[in-house]
Amino acid sequence: MNIAWKEIKKNKVRFMILGSIVFLVSLLTFIISGLANGLSQDNAALIKDLPNGQFYMSKDANETYNMSRIDSSIQDKMLSKQKDAVAFSIQMGFLNDRAGKQQSVAFVTSTDSSLFKNVKKGEIVLDRSMEDKGIKIGDTLTNNQYSGKFIVKGFVDQRKFSHAPVAYINMDAYKEIYRVNEMQLIFVPGGDSTQVAGLQSFSNNQFLNTIASYKAEQMSLNMIVWFLVIISGMLFAIFFYMMNVQKIGLYGILKAIGVKTSALFKMMWTQMLFITVIALVLSVSLSQVFNMIAPKGMPFSLTTDTTVQLSIVFLIIGFIGATLSGIQIKKVEPLQAIQQGEI
Amino acid sequence: MAIFTIDEVRKTFTNGEVKEEILKGINLSLREGEITALVGASGSGKSTLLTIAAGLQPASDGKVIFEGTNMINMSSEQVRKVRASKFGFVFQFAHLVPFLTVEEQLMLMLDVSESKLKKHEQKKEVDKILKLVEMDHRKNAYPSSLSGGEKQRVAIARAIIHKPKVLFADEPTASLDSKRSKDVMMLIRNLTKTLNITTLMVTHDEEMLSYVDSIIKMSDGQVLQNAV
Repeated sequence: MNIAWKEIKKNKVRFMILGSIVFLVSLLTFIISGLANGLSQDNAALIKDLPNGQFYMSKDANETYNMSRIDSSIQDKMLSKQKDAVAFSIQMGFLNDRAGKQQSVAFVTSTDSSLFKNVKKGEIVLDRSMEDKGIKIGDTLTNNQYSGKFIVKGFVDQRKFSHAPVAYINMDAYKEIYRVNEMQLIFVPGGDSTQVAGLQSFSNNQFLNTIASYKAEQMSLNMIVWFLVIISGMLFAIFFYMMNVQKIGLYGILKAIGVKTSALFKMMWTQMLFITVIALVLSVSLSQVFNMIAPKGMPFSLTTDTTVQLSIVFLIIGFIGATLSGIQIKKVEPLQAIQQGEI
Repeated sequence: MAIFTIDEVRKTFTNGEVKEEILKGINLSLREGEITALVGASGSGKSTLLTIAAGLQPASDGKVIFEGTNMINMSSEQVRKVRASKFGFVFQFAHLVPFLTVEEQLMLMLDVSESKLKKHEQKKEVDKILKLVEMDHRKNAYPSSLSGGEKQRVAIARAIIHKPKVLFADEPTASLDSKRSKDVMMLIRNLTKTLNITTLMVTHDEEMLSYVDSIIKMSDGQVLQNAV
């Protein structure tokens, strides 16, 4: 007989209270996780969307990409050795639109590669978010440090860096704006880390963490997410502890008539699973609705992978919380329960 | 024929450095199908003896022999199995599961005792026992809607549904008024006689002794006398 279900049916309110708390905490976790992912995309989609590989910057840059200058002879050697390798540079800057209004962008230039947009001199390809600022294909944009003009050739989706839309420009234009001849970085897709004299290599994640704002932002948001997960685990432990304390007498009597301790644990786990699954289904659905209706400017991205991972973590933490509180069940002596009086 | 034998059972409780002997070498045997009452003043050790016999707490020394096996030597899982399938319990309070209906209380007991009956046979058995305790009209009721007497009748039904060999009853009428106490005792007597269940009962109430087959008087942890 499924006594776990019978108890839920008879004490709907009690279980609904726990379920609604788990629902709210998990919803909050999903939304903050969506924001963390969204901000991460907003901060570094340009890098995150690259395939796994190795980034190289000059050793004396002290792990700061915009201080890096790669010697052109080393660059030529690496690019000729690795067919898919690409050298590129990123710098924050401004574009003036038709109305003379300054728009913050991340200028990116690279050697020929399918991983980056290659543009001709005098042309520019922008992240699609610039469309929302009124910029259209064919518009002419300028930069205070650049003698020429940029004609907007097109837009690309999800290309952001340091919360600014990416602006792909020609290498000559880049060199003129920033008065540099060397590239900052070399990326070798799929490559293992190899020692190159004067260069330091980074995996994708290691490179992302060299972006100061990215690391600090993600650390804070991930800390909130994990705190919420831990809080929900504690909620399970506290709630089941309170319920178990109220049911000590009942457990004792059930043990006295021969119910196995393992059956009592199964009863508690079934209830935990039932509540958590319903709460998660509701919070996942609602967070997906939020994903759809969230304002366009809000960086929010909740992927299926993240949702599944967090749901599994919630189930595990709920299981641990309930089990910890259930240790009392093991300690219950039937005799004590009988002597305690009516349950 | 003795179905249950208690041989030189002792129980000592230790509180710090103080040792208190509650049972001082008890010997008794229960005859199959008979109701035996344990009587005596508070603190005489009768409830402790009953709970040791029922496998709810271990003895410090001695033997509790049920169906030829000394329960003292059994593992806790073996004792639990005996409790679930061979023993029935009625306590001072009914101790019903608050979220199960009367019918479900009995179905649970059949589950716990690992009854070989199929679901529909279990339902039939439940109906039969509920008729015997005159609670068939309340089979869908929850304990909260039952009177004290009704609860105790359901507790008795739960204690015998799996046809135990021994019924342990610890002051089963203590929480009931005089009329209901007599009804419950009559019910226990009729059912145990019908189903040939051996009963060991602790009681304070002398009026209830007219329903039992033998009386064991205890005082200060010892059996004073066996009376019929």
